[in-house]
Amino acid sequence: MTIRIPKSPNSCSKTDEDGSKRMQNLTLPRLRIGKNKIIAYILLAIGMIALIFSTAYVSAILAFIGLGLIFWGALILYIGNSKYAKLSLLDSTALSSLADIDQIITELKYEGKGVYLPPKYLRNIESGIVFIPSKKGMSLPLPEEVAEEKIFLENPDGACMIPPGLALSKLFEKELGISFTKVDVRYLEDNLPKLFIEGLEIAEDVKIETEGNIFSVEISGSIYNDFCQEARKLSKICNSIGCPIASAIACALAKASGKPVIIEKEEPTSNGKVEIQYRLIEEEN
Amino acid sequence: MMQFPLTLWDISLWLAIVSIILLITAELISPHYGQTSILIDKKRLRNAALTTSLLFLITVAIRIIGIVTSS
Repeated sequence: MTIRIPKSPNSCSKTDEDGSKRMQNLTLPRLRIGKNKIIAYILLAIGMIALIFSTAYVSAILAFIGLGLIFWGALILYIGNSKYAKLSLLDSTALSSLADIDQIITELKYEGKGVYLPPKYLRNIESGIVFIPSKKGMSLPLPEEVAEEKIFLENPDGACMIPPGLALSKLFEKELGISFTKVDVRYLEDNLPKLFIEGLEIAEDVKIETEGNIFSVEISGSIYNDFCQEARKLSKICNSIGCPIASAIACALAKASGKPVIIEKEEPTSNGKVEIQYRLIEEEN
Repeated sequence: MMQFPLTLWDISLWLAIVSIILLITAELISPHYGQTSILIDKKRLRNAALTTSLLFLITVAIRIIGIVTSS
């Protein structure tokens, strides 16, 4: 990697110019939010004046104008408060940490599929852990061993990691106003589509089907499509622990069912749809 | 003399029109806005629509109570 040092004063001024342009770009969204608020306050002020004049001159038209302006001013202030960020920003922020996990799994030569452990394995039941066994078909670790909160386990050989979708699944809980430890799989089947489409506006359509121990989710028009496409290039992520959205659903499923969960299949189908299949593992008593 | 020019029925009509506009907008608005400069929180828009509808219904209830008690 080389670092270029500016040789002439001209190059310095160009850098300054670039810097100021960048600063302008950075301050633009703040200006936009400010403009909305300014417009809202102007509407409120004019509305109040119109309302006062309407009572002074006993004019119904002025009163309607005043009421309307006050209403729209208040509405703009109320409905325009949420913050939005560009999708590309989200993608580029999260991808590096996924690449990190992929590199660690590749380096350790772990071949097993990630198993999302249910709350009984964890010290903090609201948390989440994915166990990645070193070899395929290995047994699950004992709850006492996982509760020690070590990253690398020896019996069976594998690693316990924080799932990439854990924070997203906590956001699901916050939005639904309930902990997934207190609900069952049926609740997820009923509420996740509405949450994805209307609540968080993550996807255009979501279909969930349960058949025995198999839980299938089909997501259409997801905002994570581009991100997942990039994540699929990381060989271990999709095959082992899944991309953040698949991982978040797996975390929710492990909590709700109380059973370990494996992402069996995660593949894109036609028209930007993604099909994810989970398997709930029956534990031997 | 200062006097507010609108009666309860004027406000009731105004609330009815506003709540219809807001309810339709809140239902028809797409969750995928694309590149726009107006950032709208859909949930809050729906809340505002429901509040105005409720206010309208309250004015209707007042009217009904008025009719019943006067007869």
